[in-house]
Amino acid sequence: MEKILLIEDEELIIRLLSKKLAAIGYDVSLAMNGEEGLEKIKQIVPDLILLDIVMPRMGGFEVMAEMKKDENIADIPVIIISNSGQPLELEKAKELGAADWLVKTEFDPKEVAEKIQKYINKN
Amino acid sequence: MDKAINSNNIPLPPAQPLSGDQSLRERELAELSEMKARLEEANGILEVRINAKTRALRELAANLEKEMKERTEELRRKVAESENSRVALMNMLEDMEDLRRRAEEEREKTMAIIANFSDGLMFFDARDRLALVNPRIENYFSINKAESKNMIGGRISDIVRFAPMSPLGEVFAGSLERVSRRELSLNEKTVFEVSVLEVAGRAGKIGTLLIIHDISREKMVEKMKTEFVSIAAHQLRTPISAIKWTLRMILDGDLGPINDEQREFLDKTYKSNERMINLINDLLNVTRIEEGRQVYNPVVADIEEVIRGLIANYEDMARQKNLNLSFEKIAPVVPTVKIDLEKIKLVASNLIENSLKYTPAGGKISVTLGEEDGNAMVEVTDTGIGIPAEQQDRIFTKYFRSANAIKAETEGTGLGLFIAKNIVEAHGGKIRFVSEPGRATKFSFVLPPAESD
Repeated sequence: MEKILLIEDEELIIRLLSKKLAAIGYDVSLAMNGEEGLEKIKQIVPDLILLDIVMPRMGGFEVMAEMKKDENIADIPVIIISNSGQPLELEKAKELGAADWLVKTEFDPKEVAEKIQKYINKN
Repeated sequence: MDKAINSNNIPLPPAQPLSGDQSLRERELAELSEMKARLEEANGILEVRINAKTRALRELAANLEKEMKERTEELRRKVAESENSRVALMNMLEDMEDLRRRAEEEREKTMAIIANFSDGLMFFDARDRLALVNPRIENYFSINKAESKNMIGGRISDIVRFAPMSPLGEVFAGSLERVSRRELSLNEKTVFEVSVLEVAGRAGKIGTLLIIHDISREKMVEKMKTEFVSIAAHQLRTPISAIKWTLRMILDGDLGPINDEQREFLDKTYKSNERMINLINDLLNVTRIEEGRQVYNPVVADIEEVIRGLIANYEDMARQKNLNLSFEKIAPVVPTVKIDLEKIKLVASNLIENSLKYTPAGGKISVTLGEEDGNAMVEVTDTGIGIPAEQQDRIFTKYFRSANAIKAETEGTGLGLFIAKNIVEAHGGKIRFVSEPGRATKFSFVLPPAESD
């Protein structure tokens, strides 16, 4: 069973997405901020990470930068799920090696699940 | 004098033999009268000769005087002439000096403008060799006067080899290609915008001007605005996306079964929420357009594929409204275009959605892809309510909605066509329409072909 780590500070989104992903059959772990997320990435070494950008304590970009420093986790595909999609942000995410960027208003949980399948099948 | 004439000039008659007294006397008388006659004759000749000499002398004197006068006159004329030419020469010299001074002044003015120009300027001559550098360049790249002087005469490929100027190498691979507003980051804080202009005079190419404009401040402001919009969008989008996801999952049955009435209400709520999302997106787009920081990521694309994909998205909606939505490629070959996919999709969506919104049931919407003057052309034709003639000139204005559009459909921001026009024009294309109120409307946009480079 593929392990997916969801790092997101908004409770409603966490509950909805984890319910959807669990129903599809993924092993879903949760973290409510970047700091906790980074810890869990190292501990679980998930197959894929869903990462929010704006979070308390440690933001998504910082998490990605930290991941780069640890070769065990540096290559795990990261899908950004964010409420914005500013060109500068997208560029930065690309630089940091994000696999994809999903704006939450443009996708729903079902479509997020489809994206996940695309990147997990690739690996 | 007379004596001299007598003794020298008058021949005496030869002595004759005498014959008797009377005859002697007669002979003497005859001889005397003969002598007298000869004397008189000689006198006459003398007189004539003297008169002639005197006349000749007088004539000579007169001639001499005349000649003197003429010579003097000539001399005077020559002196006057040479004086005139001297003055003329002086004037010419003065004029030339004046011209030279004026040219020098103009040159100084031009140089002062170049030196004090707020942008960095480098001018390359017709042979692409650096001819001029202004102090702003020295400023921008932290080089001194001597170093900048050293670069004169070099090609751009030589110049970028000089370490402080090497950042320019990012823009120019080896030659001075035409560049328009290319960004160049010198460091974290300094960002330049590089443009290259060909300078042509009456006789053709004079040289090439490289302009470097400091946009660090704009970049900083842009970043701050991006941050602000990002925060605002985040604040607005967070609750809206939570609503969207919740409704979607309930509607998909992920949170348990719902009855038909619940489904109907939730479906309508979902659609309202989608409108709110579109409104926020439109506002974000407008902000970006107005701040001139809409970022385009053009890629070479097959426009047919793009349009076909979009049509598929609207087939359901068309069926629900009982509208015939069709697509046809009407030119055998449509030029390949270089476009920002998302933004051109937005343009086409706006046009198709407008047609769907403003065409009464039973109507027709046909989307065609063709070619016009080497450009790709997309046309969306409908049998809708049309645009009132007196409001047609305002149709691309921000927030404008025509009177009949408001009557037909209360929802709408009046931003769609404003955004569409900006996006098409940013691609170097054009958007236009013809409309017959109450009967039909046709919107067309053309996109220039991708440059084959």
